[in-house]
Amino acid sequence: MIATLVIAAFMILAMAGAIYAALVPHTLHCIIGLGLTLFGVAGIYLYLGSPFVAAMQILIYIGGISVAMVFALMLSVSLAKKMKHSEIKVILSSIAAILFLAVMARLIMTTEFPLREEPAGAAAWGVEQIGHGFLTTYSPLFIGLAICLSVAIIAAVLVARREADKS
Amino acid sequence: MNPAILAIVVIFTPLVAFATAMLFCMKAHRIAQGLILGGGAVSVVGAFLLLLGGPSETQSIVWLSSGSLELSFGFMFDGLSLSFGAVVALITFLVQVYSIGYMHHDPAKTRYFALLGLFGWAMLGFVYAVDLLQALIFWELVGLASFFLIGFWYEKPSASAAARKAFLLTRIGDTGLLIGILLIINISGMAHIPALLDAETGLTTMVSEGTLTLLVLLIFMGIMGKSAQFPLHTWLPDAMEGPTPVSALLHSATMVAAGVFLFARLHPLFMASETAILVVLCIAIFTALMSATIAMVETDLKKVLAYSSIGQLAFMLAALAAGGLLAGILHLILHAVFKALLFLCAGSYIHHFETNDMREIGRRGGRRMRWTTAGLVIGGASLAGLPPLAGFFSKEEVLASLSHGGYHLIWFLALFAAFLTAYYTFRMVFFIILPDRPLEADATVHDSSPVILGPIIFLTIATVLGGLILGPLAAILLLDVPHHSLLSMLPAILCALAGVFVAWWDFGRSRATRRGFVGAVPVLHRLFSRKWYVDDVYQAVFARFIQLMATVLHRVEVDLLDGGADRLADVTRWTGGWTARLQSGWVQAYIASGVVVVALAGYFLGSR
Amino acid sequence: MSLSAFLLVSLVLFSAGLVAIMSRRNLVTILVGIELMLNAASINFMAFNYYTAVDPVVGQIIVLVIIGLAAAEVAIFLSILMVLYRARHDVDVEEIREIRG
Repeated sequence: MIATLVIAAFMILAMAGAIYAALVPHTLHCIIGLGLTLFGVAGIYLYLGSPFVAAMQILIYIGGISVAMVFALMLSVSLAKKMKHSEIKVILSSIAAILFLAVMARLIMTTEFPLREEPAGAAAWGVEQIGHGFLTTYSPLFIGLAICLSVAIIAAVLVARREADKS
Repeated sequence: MNPAILAIVVIFTPLVAFATAMLFCMKAHRIAQGLILGGGAVSVVGAFLLLLGGPSETQSIVWLSSGSLELSFGFMFDGLSLSFGAVVALITFLVQVYSIGYMHHDPAKTRYFALLGLFGWAMLGFVYAVDLLQALIFWELVGLASFFLIGFWYEKPSASAAARKAFLLTRIGDTGLLIGILLIINISGMAHIPALLDAETGLTTMVSEGTLTLLVLLIFMGIMGKSAQFPLHTWLPDAMEGPTPVSALLHSATMVAAGVFLFARLHPLFMASETAILVVLCIAIFTALMSATIAMVETDLKKVLAYSSIGQLAFMLAALAAGGLLAGILHLILHAVFKALLFLCAGSYIHHFETNDMREIGRRGGRRMRWTTAGLVIGGASLAGLPPLAGFFSKEEVLASLSHGGYHLIWFLALFAAFLTAYYTFRMVFFIILPDRPLEADATVHDSSPVILGPIIFLTIATVLGGLILGPLAAILLLDVPHHSLLSMLPAILCALAGVFVAWWDFGRSRATRRGFVGAVPVLHRLFSRKWYVDDVYQAVFARFIQLMATVLHRVEVDLLDGGADRLADVTRWTGGWTARLQSGWVQAYIASGVVVVALAGYFLGSR
Repeated sequence: MSLSAFLLVSLVLFSAGLVAIMSRRNLVTILVGIELMLNAASINFMAFNYYTAVDPVVGQIIVLVIIGLAAAEVAIFLSILMVLYRARHDVDVEEIREIRG
């Protein structure tokens, strides 16, 4: 019961943060909303039996990505200030999104998912299994991800710096 | 020899010569000339062999059958085809020979000779045709050759205009002819001429007289166009823009006679309709009088002859309409001979003096061209109907057939027309042989080359002896030779002599005024010299109407079609521009549309 | 809590991300929208992993990969954003329309 309440709270937190982030005019508030959502999502992961992924979520997303965004915001002064906010665009895109949401919700509600009899045991969720999977079956994925990350970071640095040299 | 094979040789040799000359001999004038002349000679020999063979069975093959309708291609070997075919082939060949001299210096000689070949093919094909549709095809081909030859010197604007005019005016008539032929085929289900003419099972037994009148009058429209009868006659004088041999061959002797020939060919059909006969007679006699009066005041040598051609064609039609088949055909053939002679003489003068004005030809010593002048006088006398020349016999037959048919008013008017014919013919002759001032003593006037004189002399002899063919022609046509008393011939002879005398009084004697008796009535003189205002009326009515149509159509073109296309282009451009704005570059709009599409897809696919 | 509840949450997140992407003019907030959508996908993976997957490791691995890719993406995105900002002194997507028709 308590678990249900807690997870419901996390869900509401995630959804509220998302909607706040989508609609609030100010950019910084938007990032704050994103942070709230990420936090809620981390709780959901926790509930879904994956503390490691939840930890990663908090570490990388909240600790890394959100902070990087805020830094970027601070580096470019005008980004921080409130931008022109077109009401009509928000309304139109909201209509489109709600349409999408309604259709998808109907699909979700009407679909019969092949559920497992009972959730897997805690042993199957451990960090070891993840590490094992990454290093054996999914090692190409792991390596690819690593390369991708390093390339992305190097490229990001190069792009930003080359332009800096010019200016 | 099988006459069909001979006919194929006669008809298609000129075509082969034409095609070979056009394709391979554009530079080699002599070879082309030789080819065409050779083809012409083969045609003459073949046509005369056919004629000597006498009438024989019609031969044809069916080339298209549709239900009960059978369209055939073949040849008729009755007296009409055989005699006229021989005359056509002969005159074509003579004109080709004459052209060697006449067109000696023309750079486009090959084209000229090739077109003569084309004409020979078309005309002979028409003469022997057994099927109405076949006849129509060759009829149109003849018109095409005429168009090319009138516009032979196409650099001259007047020549190309004359070619266009001839083509368009004959087209008006041919439209009627085409409708008539299609109606006949539709009603009777056949196009085979002998079958149509059959007295027991032919067209006359199938339709009421009213329908028949309509049909033959439609066909008569084509005849009016081709044989230059009022009101479609105005192209023929203009057609004199072509080379003179062409005028001799096409526009007096053979092609314009095709209309008369068609009339003779379908004679029984015309005879079955009283109304049609009256219409033809009225048109013919009016045309005869009108053309004679215009010729009275015309000074262009070739145009005088052109108007006389119109008048003589009208005579033939009148004779045929009055029932005088023999008279019409006789006049057709003899007129072809002496009119070709007159034109060739005119060409001889024109070639030498390079002017068409007969007064100037006379002043500059036309009569010193002795052979030519002899030909002109004999041809003119024949045209005037003086005995014992060819024209006397045929014209006498024409008048007799009118009087026998009981058309006395027409007969009287025809006599008057004959008087006028004699008058203007000898006006022309006196202009040339008795100029108003003494000739200069220059000796440069000499007669034309033998190659020009040869055909002239040949035709002169033929004109003198032409009357002799009356008996054989009647025999080959299976008709009786009519016998006329001297008394019944008297009016015609007197009229001709009166015409000659008045012409001498007005133009020949030394104190002549040289104005002509119509000069005394200025109104008439103006009417005649403006050619009865027919051209002006056409100009005023049709040309203006067409101009109006053109203006309207131009507006339609510019505003509706062009404008419509422009509007269409505008709409396309506008739509394009508008839809291009969808490509706004706003990635967000793209995403939004993608979202909507996915949503719709989800809706429709998910609801299965 | 059933599978559907998680899926609906993820759907709401995704839709919120869509709204952000479609309506905002600021590139940073668009990046926020993208992150929201990535998270929605991750939730889906985790939920299906929990309720239906035979091997529960796979979903977690994929989510980790997504997190890694998101990090890489953000790095690139922000560097581009910086460059763009220096070049145009603006990151308004409505002004960045060089591909318009």
